[in-house]
Amino acid sequence: MNKPRRDFVKTSLVIASAGLCGALAAPELYAAWSQGDFAETPFDQAIKRILKGKPIVGTDKIDLTIPEIAENGAVVPITVTSSLENIGKITVLVEQNPVPLIIQAQLQPELVPFISARLKIANSSFVHVIAEGDKVCYSIKKKVKVTIGGCGG
Amino acid sequence: MSSIKIRTKRLDGNTQIRCLIAHPMEHGRNKDKATNKLIPAHFIQTLTVSHKGKIVANCDMGAGISKDPYFAFLLKGGEPGDEIVIAWEDNLGNRDAEKHTVS
Repeated sequence: MNKPRRDFVKTSLVIASAGLCGALAAPELYAAWSQGDFAETPFDQAIKRILKGKPIVGTDKIDLTIPEIAENGAVVPITVTSSLENIGKITVLVEQNPVPLIIQAQLQPELVPFISARLKIANSSFVHVIAEGDKVCYSIKKKVKVTIGGCGG
Repeated sequence: MSSIKIRTKRLDGNTQIRCLIAHPMEHGRNKDKATNKLIPAHFIQTLTVSHKGKIVANCDMGAGISKDPYFAFLLKGGEPGDEIVIAWEDNLGNRDAEKHTVS
């Protein structure tokens, strides 16, 4: 039997498994910004990527505060709070924007499920908020009417 | 000067963390009116909030966030003297971080 060859197989196996462990541990620590998630896609494809096969459930336990009529689509304040437990991720999408995905916030249990931000809305559109629980995604949407679009130019 | 301003406030036993970042947040589809050329995309991609050295929020975002972005988070508990660090990185690789002590 060829000894060096056997060693080579052994070491390459060790290296491969070490690499695999590293890859598995990484997503927890670092937000790997995904080009695909933030690409210009139709809304239904964008939402499919977000859900990752989890069922979507409508809920009234997410409180979405956003103006019904936004005078300036470039700056629309949004506040999301939820009384749901075990919310790991809050995602905000705007249906009519060229890039529907606005923000994905991974919140650790040290934080209250609350986030406030300001976003751009191109046209009058539904704003969707998805809160990802352990097994299902909770969602709520609200229509926002924009009088001046947020994309300028 | 740092691009990040952080304010914290104690609210019913929780701590509200608010931050304002100076950033153009260009999505790359706007035209420069003077030269009629597209302004290249320049926006924050990730924002992390850490509390006492532990990352508590990790946000991925696109250019759909407004110029000079504002964010607010709500920390369970939190005491005066706790250290809050907010850091961002944009698509051009620029990054900044700011430290704040809860008062």
